[in-house]
Amino acid sequence: MIERYLRELEAELGAVGIRGSLRRRILAETADHLRETGDVARFGESKLIAARFADELATNGARRVAYTSFLALAPAGIAYAILLGLIRTWPDITSVKVLPLAIATALTVVLAPQVAFATGLLTVARAWRLRSETAVPAAEIGVLRRRAAVALGSGAAAFTGIAVYAYEYSSGLPSWWTTTAFAVSGAVLVPIAGAAVALARNARVRPQASGSAGDLFDDVAPLLDLVPFRLRGRPWRFCLLVAVAVAAAALIAGGPDEGPRNAVFEFVAVCAGFAGLGRFLGLRR
Amino acid sequence: MRAETLKGHLDFLLLATLADEPAHGYRIIEALKRRSAGAFDLPEGTVYPALHRLEQSGLLASSWVSASGRRRRVYRLTARGRRGLSGARREWRGFTKAVEAVVA
Repeated sequence: MIERYLRELEAELGAVGIRGSLRRRILAETADHLRETGDVARFGESKLIAARFADELATNGARRVAYTSFLALAPAGIAYAILLGLIRTWPDITSVKVLPLAIATALTVVLAPQVAFATGLLTVARAWRLRSETAVPAAEIGVLRRRAAVALGSGAAAFTGIAVYAYEYSSGLPSWWTTTAFAVSGAVLVPIAGAAVALARNARVRPQASGSAGDLFDDVAPLLDLVPFRLRGRPWRFCLLVAVAVAAAALIAGGPDEGPRNAVFEFVAVCAGFAGLGRFLGLRR
Repeated sequence: MRAETLKGHLDFLLLATLADEPAHGYRIIEALKRRSAGAFDLPEGTVYPALHRLEQSGLLASSWVSASGRRRRVYRLTARGRRGLSGARREWRGFTKAVEAVVA
């Protein structure tokens, strides 16, 4: 009877993505428990126990991965700001080695950090909202994992872009800056890679709890009270508000020459990002 | 008592059960039952996911211990777990005091 139950539990744990040493440990603990009591029925149905393990470990793990991702990206963001702030004169595009690569790199260096920053904040906001939950719907965990993945991927793309930028524009940049850019890029990619490995491990577990994932307005509920007009349930209105704010910042930062062009670019980029990634990242239903 | 009623308090109860000494899963469940005079009679298997989760959060630590020819996973509170338990106790006492004041 006990052996049969353990075989069933082994299969059910495998079905929810719990394998390897963790599964061996759970089975060993269960075997020890059942040999003590001899009562399989009181232990609970194997499918239910496996689902419980998946829900609780996936919820807790995804939340931890969210915080780890943010901690990996926060110093990367500071390093990015310092690195770009050290460039006194921006190199001319004619100084590049391969023009299409240089243009793609420049766009990546501008856009990827913004995506990483926004999704990193959204990841932490969702994790914080779920901080006291022991098990949440699989859909919620899916959103958390996807946000962390996009944040980490964008962070990695930003620093890979900086390294390529330093190489491509090396003839127009001081040599100390290119050396620093290579070193910093390598250094910040290590914690980002570590967080990505933790995310991949967590993503192997498939939670079973049903329910909806919520949306952006659930994550930023306390902030909605500060806005003098209704935003909840109107994701595109929220998107436009953010796009206008980002464009205004770009207009001010760019000055009279580059400001208007940058503002239009940022406005379009925010709206395009919201359109392309909105559902994937659980920003709108 | 229904398992659903216990849901929000299981972590606190598990930490409190381990406050005196380390124990393996079966002994923890027995202690919960005994100390609650049978009121906390959970489906036994549901305690293990909670123990694993608390360990993942750093509130518990565990290791294999051999005794009487059997290998058992023994759980113990970490320093963080002790701090968490103290906070949960304070919160619980404040809550029960407030509820008592209302319903008495």
